Amino acid sequence: MAEILEVVDLERLRKEVREKYREVAGDPTAEYHFHTGRAHAIRLGYPLAPLDQLPDYACEAFAGVGNPFYWGGPKPGERVVDLGSGAGMDSFLAALWVGNEGKVIGVDMTPEMLDRSRSMAARLGLDNVEFREGLIEELPVEDGWADVVISNGVINLCPDKIGVYRQIYRVLRPGGRMTVADICLERPVPEEALRDIDLWTG
Amino acid sequence: MIGGAGLVDVELANPLDTFAGARGEESAREFGTLGYSIRARRST
Repeated sequence: MAEILEVVDLERLRKEVREKYREVAGDPTAEYHFHTGRAHAIRLGYPLAPLDQLPDYACEAFAGVGNPFYWGGPKPGERVVDLGSGAGMDSFLAALWVGNEGKVIGVDMTPEMLDRSRSMAARLGLDNVEFREGLIEELPVEDGWADVVISNGVINLCPDKIGVYRQIYRVLRPGGRMTVADICLERPVPEEALRDIDLWTG
Repeated sequence: MIGGAGLVDVELANPLDTFAGARGEESAREFGTLGYSIRARRST
């Protein structure tokens, strides 16, 4: 992992990722290198309930790569952290699952996504979800707070993946669980490709 | 890597051809990129 951190220009990568997701926040129905929206979530196997409780405007900027709820959603009353919460769809689903006794914290580094997710939460009347600005390598969540950590398609954008997993360990309570979705590569990535920021973001 | 962070009972499941039909399909195919569901837990 240290090798990747030596190869990648971290600040440039974060800047490019912010720029990409700023575009998605502003124009979620445009064509990107990944799929977006409710139909994509259904294709990935998201459970129709409670997805069917969310209006289209809360789903259109969804840009996940898999199904973090493959083993089921959070339980009523649980506390959930969503890493790279983006436009907020997964956080909203988690908020519906945990109910008023539970709490969801979404963390994202893109201001436009935070504006969008906070605005959506207000429109949906979800008082049990909060969005915080931050890096998932430095989660702004206290130690042992979470019963569940979720994420979708974000950890792959961080060169320091073990640092992210150490943060997940830190914020989970003993016995807590991580259920995330992300991409895995079947073939090794050559160093020149690791240096190519465009490949990281699309 | 996940185990190296202290998490246990790591499981990968549900591989999906997540970029099929999207603009990123070609580079995804080049590296054999699939979307997975991944779970693990912090021991008690």
